[in-house]
Amino acid sequence: MRYNEKELQALSRQPAELAAELGMRGPKKGSVVKRRLVKLVVNFLFYFRTDEAEPVGALLLERCRVAREEPSGFSISFIEDPERKYYFECCSEEQCQEWTEALRQASYEFMRRSLIFYRKEIQKMTGKDPLEQFGISEEARFQLSSLKA
Amino acid sequence: MKLNERSVTHYALSDSPADHTGYLRTWGGPGTPPTPSGTGRRCWFVLKGNLLFSFESREGRAPLSLVVLEGCTVELAEAPAPEEFAFAICFDAPGVRPHLLAADGPAAQEAWVKALSRASFGYMRLVVRELESQLQDARQSLALHRHSSWKAISSRCKPQAPDCWSLGLENGHSLPRDCSPMGLVEEGSSRSAGRGLAEWELQGPASLLLGRKQSPVSPETSCFSTLHNWYGQEIVELRRGWQQRARGSKAGCEEQVRL
Repeated sequence: MRYNEKELQALSRQPAELAAELGMRGPKKGSVVKRRLVKLVVNFLFYFRTDEAEPVGALLLERCRVAREEPSGFSISFIEDPERKYYFECCSEEQCQEWTEALRQASYEFMRRSLIFYRKEIQKMTGKDPLEQFGISEEARFQLSSLKA
Repeated sequence: MKLNERSVTHYALSDSPADHTGYLRTWGGPGTPPTPSGTGRRCWFVLKGNLLFSFESREGRAPLSLVVLEGCTVELAEAPAPEEFAFAICFDAPGVRPHLLAADGPAAQEAWVKALSRASFGYMRLVVRELESQLQDARQSLALHRHSSWKAISSRCKPQAPDCWSLGLENGHSLPRDCSPMGLVEEGSSRSAGRGLAEWELQGPASLLLGRKQSPVSPETSCFSTLHNWYGQEIVELRRGWQQRARGSKAGCEEQVRL
């Protein structure tokens, strides 16, 4: 699959939701923990060598599962291969909590669900579609049918 | 730069709804000159969230390309071939060439430009925040209304409350109309989380929210992410129970739990 690395690099320079130096271990067997600057930007998690300006890699966070890993770390895996995990080590329980919460809400699909939830609730409470005033009620991305039952 | 391509491909092919799809002509690709020329190549494009994928055909199982629609603008453009309904995705970043695309007709061109312009994460977040605050306003004005009518209705409603409560849930209405003041304080009957989850998926947890005295999520909390986390914790506990009971089997609940 072709993609423009420069586009991703530019994205990695955008203001981050969260950024910190964490221990990181890849999914391959026998991989070791390395210190990485980890940066959450929109629905991507970038990771840098601590002394480099360009990321080593990026993880798209759609359909991912964030799980706590003892003692104070977490893992990210993806729905199609739940055993293949990227491990992260935090320096404290608080930091771990902060990251897991942020990562669980970092996907576009999570936002879509939030929006559909709010839209439905407002419709129920007020009888009005809150998106109508913006002229976007027909947009595909906001449709109630988008929610998988 | 490494990218979790397998997962990205999986997301592209998944049955999560696409925000826009269609055939477009594209220039650029392996072996093409830096300046677009000729008629381009016709590919099947799929827009999901802030990601634009192209495929060889509608049945394609491997994306040909990915464009991340962040930090870009979409403008009408001139195509190398005449009478093309062209537009370009232009990036601010240095050294990033615009992606030139052309639709089959003016309606498709307009639809694509619109869809792509609104594809960014920031746009979605803006709309979510707007609705979040609108919901908060609606809840607050509802709470005020209830408070003022509380004394008048409460005695009438009391004996009916449990039925109203379950009726509210059955109908999917978050506000059992005939005993709304009770909805706020009536302690929720025991709920199975499975049912709660299903309701959440279909209707949103507001109906449970409004009636639950013990809930860490008070009626003032309109934040989806808080609800999400709260259910997440409950689900983790339940899964532990399920896994203990169904040792070894791949938790089918995994699918239920996952968002």
